[in-house]
Amino acid sequence: MSRAGGVGITNAVNVGIAVQADWENREFISNLSLNVLRLFEFLTQFEATTKSKLANLNEKLNTLERHLELLEVQVSTASANPSLFN
Amino acid sequence: MSSSSSQSVPDETSNYDEFSMQQSLLFSDSLKDLKNLRAQLYSAAEYFELSYTNDDQKQMVMDTLKEYAIKALINTVDHLGSVTYKVNGLLDENVEEVSGTEFRVSCIEQRLRTCQEFIDHEGLSQQSLVITTPKYHKRYLLPGKYTHHCFFFLLLEFARLQLLKTYCGSLNFSSVGETMLGSGRTVPKNQWCSLDDEDDWHQFKNAVQSTIIESPSSSVRKGRSPSPRPRPPQNLGTFSFTEKRTIPEKRAPSPQRSRFPLLRSGSFSSKTSSPLKSRPTTPLSSRPITPTNTRQRYTLEPKKSASMRLHAERESSKETEHNMSKSKRLLKALLSRRKTKKDESLYTFLDEY
Repeated sequence: MSRAGGVGITNAVNVGIAVQADWENREFISNLSLNVLRLFEFLTQFEATTKSKLANLNEKLNTLERHLELLEVQVSTASANPSLFN
Repeated sequence: MSSSSSQSVPDETSNYDEFSMQQSLLFSDSLKDLKNLRAQLYSAAEYFELSYTNDDQKQMVMDTLKEYAIKALINTVDHLGSVTYKVNGLLDENVEEVSGTEFRVSCIEQRLRTCQEFIDHEGLSQQSLVITTPKYHKRYLLPGKYTHHCFFFLLLEFARLQLLKTYCGSLNFSSVGETMLGSGRTVPKNQWCSLDDEDDWHQFKNAVQSTIIESPSSSVRKGRSPSPRPRPPQNLGTFSFTEKRTIPEKRAPSPQRSRFPLLRSGSFSSKTSSPLKSRPTTPLSSRPITPTNTRQRYTLEPKKSASMRLHAERESSKETEHNMSKSKRLLKALLSRRKTKKDESLYTFLDEY
């Protein structure tokens, strides 16, 4: 009886240790998953920010392009009519 | 110094180029590491799976896997942080460059607008200089309202006639005056007024005559007929040298007529209706205007006596000297006349007439 009781206690302790290790592994995996999610969230935010910046830059470049085209047309018109400078 | 500065500038540029090249190489290396990180993680996962199934020391494999996962996560975060930082830097540089370019373009546009405004202003000024707006003076227009100025104009004309009489004594003064005011051709129109059309000139002339006739402040009409009829314009311009030759021989010049040559009415009927009894030495029939007047004067000239002629000559010499002094004073007053102050002195002098 005492021997059986000692084995049972040992098994219970082993099960408890195994459960604790399992919980520790779960905690590690959850922390790792949380950090990966944070990294993914950062990457998503970085993508959105970069896309908005690129969109603004594209808009500014388009505006600049139109302005430069207008200036080119004005300069070509002025250079085509030299009587304006006389 | 210049050579060192010229060398320092390329060194700085070469250093900047080298720095930018190193940064770009590091960025490309970090991007390659990020690209390879996925494959490394997949290969590490397959290795740990095989070792966990095949190896007996599973706890050691589990600990190694945990350490590798933590290091891989940290490395990924570091790589992503560096890459995002560099990407942000590149984007900010491009945005700043674009902002600088926008500023330059706006400066160029502002310069163009300034040039356009200058060109428009110059064109407008050129066009406004091309368009010659008519310039009308008040004193030469509106005969009903500005009689005062018309009278002043007539006084100027009178001063001119006095000068002409002084320097051209042998010339018939009334004829000159009539010619200058009557025909309107001998008077330089651009000098006195800006009346371009002949109709305007006649209208102005009539207005001046009516102004002189109707002006109550002038003492010119003292001893004259109360309502002399203005002379018709077609009779004003008659001037003949035959009359000018005959008149000074037969009679003395009339000072009253020489003083006010423009106020005489040319009609014979008005003179007869209102004879000048106070001045018998100035016969009214001596005006060489029309042939009828000339004929009448020839009929009246032999009736004059010699004493009257001598008396008239004396008086005429005195009057001539008096008129010359007055004309000099008048000219001085006119020349020294300014807009603000000297109207009063001129009008006090004019009141003497």
